[in-house]
Amino acid sequence: MKNRRQFLLEAMAWSAGLGLPVPLWDATSAFAIENTPKLVVVTGKSYDILVTKALETLGWPGAFIKNGDKVVIKPNIGWDRNVAQGANSHPIVVVQLAKLALDAGAGEVKIFDHTCNEKRRCYVNSGIQDGVAAIGDKRVRLLHIDQRKFVPVDIKNGKSLSQWEIYRDALEADVYINVPVAKHHGLSRLTLGLKNAMGVIGGRRGSLHFNLGQKLADLATVIRPTLTVVDATRLLMRNGPQGGNEDDVEIRDTVIASTDPVAADAYATTLFGLKPEEIDSTVAAHAMGLGEMDPAKMRIQEFQL
Amino acid sequence: MTAKNPSNKRPLQNRLLLRRLSQLLFLGLFLFLFIHTDYSGADDMAYAVNILFRLDPFLAATVMLASKVVIALMVPAIAVLLLALVVGRAFCGWFCPMGSLLDVCRHGVKSDRAGKNTLFPRLGLWLFIVTLLLAFCGFHVAGYVDPFSILVRGLAQAFYPAAHGMTESVFTFTYLHAPDAVNNITEPIYSWLKETILPAERKYFQLAFFSFAILGGVMLLEMAQKRFFCRNICPLGAMFGLLSRYGLMRSRGGDKECGKCRVCSSLCRMGAINENRDIDMSRCNLCLECQVRCPRRVIRFGFSQPKQTSTIRGLSRRQFIGAVASAMVLPSIKEVHGLDKWSDPLLIRPPGALPEDEFVGRCVRCAECIQVCIGNGLQPTFLEGGLDAIFTPKLAARTGYCEFNCTLCGQVCPTGAIRQLTRQEKHLMKIGNAWFDRDLCLPHAKGIPCMVCEEHCPTPVKAIQFREATVINSDGAQVTVKQPYIVDDLCIGCGICEYKCPLPGLPGIFVTSGGEHRNPEHQLPRPEDFYGS
Repeated sequence: MKNRRQFLLEAMAWSAGLGLPVPLWDATSAFAIENTPKLVVVTGKSYDILVTKALETLGWPGAFIKNGDKVVIKPNIGWDRNVAQGANSHPIVVVQLAKLALDAGAGEVKIFDHTCNEKRRCYVNSGIQDGVAAIGDKRVRLLHIDQRKFVPVDIKNGKSLSQWEIYRDALEADVYINVPVAKHHGLSRLTLGLKNAMGVIGGRRGSLHFNLGQKLADLATVIRPTLTVVDATRLLMRNGPQGGNEDDVEIRDTVIASTDPVAADAYATTLFGLKPEEIDSTVAAHAMGLGEMDPAKMRIQEFQL
Repeated sequence: MTAKNPSNKRPLQNRLLLRRLSQLLFLGLFLFLFIHTDYSGADDMAYAVNILFRLDPFLAATVMLASKVVIALMVPAIAVLLLALVVGRAFCGWFCPMGSLLDVCRHGVKSDRAGKNTLFPRLGLWLFIVTLLLAFCGFHVAGYVDPFSILVRGLAQAFYPAAHGMTESVFTFTYLHAPDAVNNITEPIYSWLKETILPAERKYFQLAFFSFAILGGVMLLEMAQKRFFCRNICPLGAMFGLLSRYGLMRSRGGDKECGKCRVCSSLCRMGAINENRDIDMSRCNLCLECQVRCPRRVIRFGFSQPKQTSTIRGLSRRQFIGAVASAMVLPSIKEVHGLDKWSDPLLIRPPGALPEDEFVGRCVRCAECIQVCIGNGLQPTFLEGGLDAIFTPKLAARTGYCEFNCTLCGQVCPTGAIRQLTRQEKHLMKIGNAWFDRDLCLPHAKGIPCMVCEEHCPTPVKAIQFREATVINSDGAQVTVKQPYIVDDLCIGCGICEYKCPLPGLPGIFVTSGGEHRNPEHQLPRPEDFYGS
C-alpha cells in the first residue's frame, strides 16, 4: 500500500514527464485463414439495407457476436469533410452497423477514429456524431481518442515494424468491425481497410509512410478485424484522401463485406478500375498469408437491392 | 443608498454580501465565457465570448485613436463609461473579473500593508495618458497594461493549459497505476471534467512563462498592498477615476469627531481614504467595507452627499511633457526599426488580419484568437513584429496549423483586427505560402517516398502536387519516386503541411508570409511575368 507521500512523489514524477514503465502488450493471436474467403457485394440506394444484407449473408449474427460482447466499430472519420465529399465513412453505414450490433446483444459499442483534422470538427461534419446520437442507446458511444490508451504492442511477425503503439479498445474488442471508406490516396493510390488501421495507432504516424504497404501489412498481423465492411457508397476518385470537391466523387451505392481484410481491399480496388496487385499493402498482406487477393479465388456473392 | 437606520447593522452587511455575490457572479460569467472561447460543435460561436473587451472603454479609446476610425464592435464600451459617470469606480469593485480575482488571491497572501498609501498614485493615470498618446502616434501598446488583456492572456497561455496538463497527469497516473476500485471513481470524474471545463486538446505556447510571469506578478503584488494593480497601474481604473471626479456618486467620510479611529482608512483596499478621512471617489471602488465597519456609522455613499474635492492629482507638467515626448520618440524609433523593410518572413498573421500597421493598431493582445484557435496554430509573437507587437497572434506551423473550415479567430476578435470571414472567403484567403526545403524533404533529399504533406493539404484541388522523378537514393540505387511541389495559386498558407511533416527537427516544408493577400508587396512572382504567357 502506498502512502500519500509516495503517491504524490510518483504523481510528480509523472507530471515531470519521467514516465513510469508501461507494460508491453501481447496481441499476437493464432488466426486461421480461409482458403476461399466469402465476400459479399451489395448495391442499392438504401445504405442501411445494404449493410444488413451484407452482414446477414456472411452469417451475422451467428458466431460473430455473443450477448454482452464489447464491439468496436472503426469508421474513417479522419477529415473535416461532409458526407457528399466522400472522405469519411458514410454515417448511415456506421449507424446501421451499430444498430445490428445492438440487436445482436452487444454489451457496448464504441465508435472512434484517430482523426487527422481537429477531432470535434471531423465527428460533427462527417454526420456521424448526429447519426450516433439519433440511435439514442446508451450502449453506443462515439468517443474521442484518449491518449492514455495507446499501448506498445510487439509485432512479432512484422517485417518492417517490430513494435508500435496501438489503441487498447481496438485490441480488447470482442468484435472489431473495420469500416473504411474506399477512396483515392496520393501515396498508396487507394486507402482501404488496411490503411484504415492508421486510425487506431498512436506514435508518429507520418513516419510510417516509408515502405507504407509493408508496414500496413505488419500492423494487420496484430490488428485483426472480425469483419471488414468497405463503404463504397461513394468513391473519391481524385484529390484523396480528403478531397473537398464533389466533382471528384462517384456515387456507386455499394457495400462490400468480408471476414478476410485482404479480400475486401482487393475487391474494392477493382471498383476504381485498378488491379489488386497495384496496391502495395494488399500485395504485402497477401504475401504474409493474411488473406486472399485474387477475386477468382473468393466466394463472391453479389446482390442488387 | 444611505441606510435608514444606522444602528441596524444587518442591511449594511447585506450590501457586502451583495457585492461579493456580484463579484462571484461576474467572475463566474467571465470564466464561463473564457472556457467557451472554443469550438462549440457549430461553425459559429454560440456566445459573445469577447464581450468583456468590447465593454472596455480604455481599449476602445486607444484602438480608435490608433486606427482613426470608429469601430462599431466596441460601441458597448460607451455604456461602461456612462456607468462610471453614475456610480464611479463601482465597476472595479463589483464587476471587474481581474479585481475580483485579486480579492480572491489576497486570501492566499498575508499583506500587512493593506490600507497603506498607494505607492505610485499617479502611475495609472500616466500610463493611461501615455498609452493614448502613443496609440495616436502609431505605437499601440494598450494591451500590455489593460487588465483584461493581461488576465485572459495569462489564463489562455499559461494557467489554463497548465491546469489541463496537471489534471491529465494525475488521471493518467491513476489510470495506469491505481487499482480498479480507484479508477471506478476517478475515471467518471475525469470524463466529467473533459466534458465541462477541460480543453479538447493540450495546447502549447512559446510565451507561456512570460504570460505567466505577468499575470502571476499582478497576483503576487497583492503582497505589497491590497489591489496593488488596480490602484497603481490599471489605466482602465485611472480612466474611471478621471470620470468619477465629475460623476454623480458622492461620499461622506469620517470627521474630526472620529478621534484616533482609523478603521476606514486602514481597511480601504483602494487607498481612497486620506488622513482627514475624506473618501476620494476617483479611487474608491465602492466595496462598502468602510461603511459597514465604521464604529460610528457616519460613512455614507449616495447622489445627495455634498461634493468633495478630489485628492487625486493629475500629472505634473514635467510628467505630462515626458508623456508627450515619449509618445513622439517611440513611434519615430519604430520608423527607424523599419520592420516593413525586413519583416520577419515567419510572421504569418491569422486569416482575415488587416494589413500589418492597421492590424497592430487594432490588436489589443487579448489572446481571444489564440485561445479559440482549435489547431493550436496561433501563437503570441515576441519581438518579431517590433516592440509594439508583442503578444499579437501569429501562425507557428510547427506547433499547429490553421484548420481549413474554421473561421473562429475572426469571430472572437473584439476589434476587427481580424476580419470575420465566411467559410468561402476563408477557403481562398492566402495568409502565406509553403516552400520545400529540398535538402530536407525525403523524396527530394533522399529518394524516400513520403507524401504526408500532400495527403493533408486541404484545398479541394491540392496545392501540393507531385511529379515522378528518377533519382539516385542514399544507397546509390536508381529509384523512381514521387516528388512533391507547390502550386502557389492554390496554396493558402494554412501550415498543415509543415505541422504534419514527419521529419524531426527542421521540417522539409515550411510556410512563410510570402504571397499573403493583405500585403501587395508580398505578392509572389508569377511565371508568366518572366516567361510570358
